[in-house]
Amino acid sequence: MTAIHPASALAPPPPAALVLALPKGRILEECAPLLAAAGIRPAPDYADEGSRRLRFPTDDPGLDVVRVRSFDVATFVAFGAAALGICGADVLMEFDYPEIYAPLDLGIGRCRMVVAEPAEEAALQGLGRLSRVRVATKYPNVARRHFAARGVQADVVTLNGSVELAPGLGIARRIVDLVQTGATLAANGLVITDVIAPVTSRLIVNRSALKTGGEALFSLLAAFRRALGAD
Amino acid sequence: MAGPGDDGLWPNLQQARETTELPGRGFVARGADAIAAGRTLRPAPMTDDPPLHPALLPTGLCDLLPPEAEREAQAVARVMQVFASHGYQRVKPPLVEFADSLLAGSGAAVAEQTFRLVDPESQRMLGLRADITPQVARIAATRLADASRPLRLCYAGQCLRVRGTQIAPDRQIGQAGIELIGSTSPAADAEIVVVGAEALMAIGIARASFDLTLPPLAPALIDAAGITGPERQALAHALDRKDAAAVTRHGGALAGTLTSLLLAAGPADRALAALAAASLPQPAAPLAEQLVATVAAIRQLAPGLRITVDPIEFRGFRYHTGVSMTIYTPGRTEELGRGGRYLSGEREPATGLTLYSDALLRVAPPPPDRTLVYLAANADPETAGRLREEGYATLAALGNGDDQAARLGCTHILRGSELLPLGGK
Repeated sequence: MTAIHPASALAPPPPAALVLALPKGRILEECAPLLAAAGIRPAPDYADEGSRRLRFPTDDPGLDVVRVRSFDVATFVAFGAAALGICGADVLMEFDYPEIYAPLDLGIGRCRMVVAEPAEEAALQGLGRLSRVRVATKYPNVARRHFAARGVQADVVTLNGSVELAPGLGIARRIVDLVQTGATLAANGLVITDVIAPVTSRLIVNRSALKTGGEALFSLLAAFRRALGAD
Repeated sequence: MAGPGDDGLWPNLQQARETTELPGRGFVARGADAIAAGRTLRPAPMTDDPPLHPALLPTGLCDLLPPEAEREAQAVARVMQVFASHGYQRVKPPLVEFADSLLAGSGAAVAEQTFRLVDPESQRMLGLRADITPQVARIAATRLADASRPLRLCYAGQCLRVRGTQIAPDRQIGQAGIELIGSTSPAADAEIVVVGAEALMAIGIARASFDLTLPPLAPALIDAAGITGPERQALAHALDRKDAAAVTRHGGALAGTLTSLLLAAGPADRALAALAAASLPQPAAPLAEQLVATVAAIRQLAPGLRITVDPIEFRGFRYHTGVSMTIYTPGRTEELGRGGRYLSGEREPATGLTLYSDALLRVAPPPPDRTLVYLAANADPETAGRLREEGYATLAALGNGDDQAARLGCTHILRGSELLPLGGK
């Protein structure tokens, strides 16, 4: 007799080569010099957002690069699909996967996680007397934690982008979002009322991969550390 | 079992099921067939939840089917055999206990993961075990208080926890483990590691990797540095996630030591060298010596065993007081088992190791399945009995013809006393 749905089907066999997950978009460009300094040379189209390929070989047969959405880098690494990844500290704050280690601050992708409000209302009232606020954000967990620490319940409206529109269109007066230059905020009439945390990109490693990792993983970590001038 | 079309009873039975009335919910469709066909005799109100599919189980629970249920049982039996061969005697604590005693001492660490219920008989709060180690500790401290030490006990059973994680969603967890109570020697820590490795080897897991940790080390360092309050919490979180940047930010004077220990996690020799190089304050230094002695003792007993060391890891080891371990296998994110030093009954030194049977099932290579033999009408019962002793499984014909053999998955048929491959004469 054979099992229709074996429990082992939940856990497919792991990939053979080490996989490094890189985030699409803004941070990917900033990664390039760092990868070069660490001696990682992926197939040239890895940085081409038009390329349909998602997995790219490098000149090292033991290392492949995948390109996924920034939030998904954390998920890929947490599940061990990628042993390593590069993602913003914002993603780690939001997901807080215990299976992810973040041993290196890469110092790229600098920005801030902030609370912002319409300029004209920001001056009126702090959080002092409020028991709950409505907040629009891509980071529901971060927003809830931030306001809870101040004794305020956050009613979170989760959006996947264009969060700056929310106050103007009446979804929520406050937003929690990532801000690099502040130009988008200003263009939408918003000002920063609180800074939750500074954000930079991290090299992240799967816990079990680090615990059982062979020399390949440790030498890759060392290469990144050298590239950062930390060793 | 009755199935559609099997007998005349079925249509009535189905109708009876379809019109079952649930109190307060109106008439709802019942029975797999009615639901599969999307039929209801009288539709439930639109706002009602859709009827539960009869196959749906609560989050984190699952049925084990053939052949995996048998494989798991065999793996646990094999592992327990290895434990017994090293002098560990089996105990069987109950599934449910008074919450007060279940969650006392080392059990307090799993309190928030424990299902609780009120005993309808005594009206007292009961706890459904989330971990067996505290139960074994209770037995050692009470009923077996006068048994000679060191006391070696082993156990196997199921546990339930309130919540799974996204990575490890199971809420029911099978445990098979050993406890070695009444010895402070590093040889005891080494023994449980080596016995654990032998048990894994016995079920075909040859590449297990033991990660040794010192859960009390990081708290001892942080206490010695006088870091308290929210800073302490932030630092603990940063250490747990090996977030070097955050450790530097919150670590104050300790940042240098902690960062170097953090980055030392990995193969044993390198990590121990980093530990030796770090200047540790008083309560931390003896802990580090324990770890060094344990690694040496393991190396002596099992030179080939793969050992990594992570000196400042303290995750999930809230009742552990000394050298602890987590078992991994390369290429898999799940843990195969955990263990470490604790205080049994809050006073006796003890160490133990638990293997997770569900993880073993997923990682261990499957043993060959039994060969199924169809017993023809004229099959010789004695030969059939001998075949079963040899590990075959026999299927009686129950008055049906030989043509049923292939449909039931048999590869062989027993005619008289002759075992023939199916398809042959």
